[in-house]
Amino acid sequence: MSKYSQRLRKSIGYVVLVAMLLIIIAPFFWMVDTSFKTNLDIGNFPPSFLPHPFTFSHYTRAFSKYGFGVYFRNSVVVSIVATFIVLVIASLASYAIARLPIRGKAPLMVFLLAISTFPEVAVISPLFLIMQRIGWLNSYQSLIVPYVAFNLPFAIWVMRTYFAGIPKELDEAARVDGAGIMTTVFRVILPVATPGLFTGGVFTFVACWTEFLFALVFNSSQQFRTIPVGIALFSGQFTIPYGTIFAGSTVAVLPIVILVLIFQKWVVAGLTAGAVKG
Amino acid sequence: MRVSRLERKYALAGYAMLAPALLVIALVTIFPIGYSVWMSLNNISSTYSGFQFSFAGLSNYITVFHAPIFWQSLLFTVMYAAVTVVVEMVLGLLVALALNQPIRGRGVAIAVMLVPWTLITVISAQMWGYIYNGIYGVLNAVLMSLHIINTQVLWLGAPTSATISIMIADIWKTTPFVTMILLAGLQLIPSDLYESAKIDGATGWRSFWNVTFPLLRPSLGLAALFRILQAFGLFDLPFVLTNGGPGTSTEPIAMLAYKAIFNDGNFGTGTAVAVSTVGIVILLALLSLKALRTQVGEID
Repeated sequence: MSKYSQRLRKSIGYVVLVAMLLIIIAPFFWMVDTSFKTNLDIGNFPPSFLPHPFTFSHYTRAFSKYGFGVYFRNSVVVSIVATFIVLVIASLASYAIARLPIRGKAPLMVFLLAISTFPEVAVISPLFLIMQRIGWLNSYQSLIVPYVAFNLPFAIWVMRTYFAGIPKELDEAARVDGAGIMTTVFRVILPVATPGLFTGGVFTFVACWTEFLFALVFNSSQQFRTIPVGIALFSGQFTIPYGTIFAGSTVAVLPIVILVLIFQKWVVAGLTAGAVKG
Repeated sequence: MRVSRLERKYALAGYAMLAPALLVIALVTIFPIGYSVWMSLNNISSTYSGFQFSFAGLSNYITVFHAPIFWQSLLFTVMYAAVTVVVEMVLGLLVALALNQPIRGRGVAIAVMLVPWTLITVISAQMWGYIYNGIYGVLNAVLMSLHIINTQVLWLGAPTSATISIMIADIWKTTPFVTMILLAGLQLIPSDLYESAKIDGATGWRSFWNVTFPLLRPSLGLAALFRILQAFGLFDLPFVLTNGGPGTSTEPIAMLAYKAIFNDGNFGTGTAVAVSTVGIVILLALLSLKALRTQVGEID
């Protein structure tokens, strides 16, 4: 490639990069910006660029009047517990698929891939009836159990890839030392497979944190709403309280952004592993 | 003898270790899908003592297939899936190609691209709802200051503009993620392939069509398939942005099922809508099984 076209290519790269960053950031900026405006200011047209005057009242109101703290706690509990269970169950299953002499591995992997593409709406009405009968509506387990089931296939896919890449000599050394299979998995393999755990964990956590349909249908009571349901149903009777919605949203966005930026490397690794689940 | 006994012991342990995963998946996905089919073949009424089933054969399906709203929702969902997936793939590929070179700030770009993926769709919907707002929305302010429009437009108030508005919100949120997948795919292409293509005189477009595109096709295909299947479950965005309106013009098929079941209490017909959706999804997946096979080929 000539020096000229190389430089042209680079310039295009920079233009695309800057344009993309602006397009991604602008709506976020507008959301955070609005969360600091007074209601009077929010209703103005054309809207003011920066809050004038600046107010923090939407943040206090989101927690004191709209119960945002409860939604936040529910989301944290459900997402963390579901992610933990997924990682434990997926570790066992992935080790079995990667290492043990079981039959039908290829059909099993295709089956898992197929399951992970099923739309939630396919199971929503029977799950609702079942949960109503066993008294699970408005509880944590009504979300944790479905979240575990829907995120297992992808976690198993990712972790199997990692397990397959670990030298078999590790297992054999553990076996010679008299370690059982469980000890081998949890004491020998998992400590060297932490990247796989991180990748599976982050994807599961994000999926649980953002899930809406199950949470809307199973946990509609104020006490058990997660953040997505809370924010979707924030709407007032006549006007939409955008200031409060965006204050809550800003608080909801922060922890997961920090989490994903910390684990960025492993998210990218998950994408490279052929992971294409949005 | 001893080896085979050991083999058997390990195989048994393997099945035992798979059991929890398969049990949860069977209980929460496989069994309910079967139960869904059974529900869709019944008239279900809610009584004080619980739900009463009475077998109704295919009558729910006949009702569904005779309802214009079903075909309208299906058409909307198909159109939505087609447009958003094509735009996201093309845009994602262009951005990925532009970023697939040693330029400064790429690490920051990748970090920022991850953020929309982590965003709760409901939040993104509220954000766009405020931007599109017909009375004080910033979109109207920007377009008016550029003299593209003269008066405020109710973007979510007319079927076509509401549909496009929902599509834009989806494209904004998902394109960065598609870009990440394709960028990851691009980086797996060995650079000596480009070198040898260059020696053969292929540069620019020629090297893209002859080297990049064929090698990227599996990741493109798989990403497109997953995005299409995902688009068929579209629910959160229109739920907040338009609630299916104006009228029912932006009502995707998942929302049609949801409303029939949980707003109108028609468990039978609503479930028939859901099962029909799954049928279409399975059909799509089977048609693309080849793409899946190549991906799975490396196992065993």
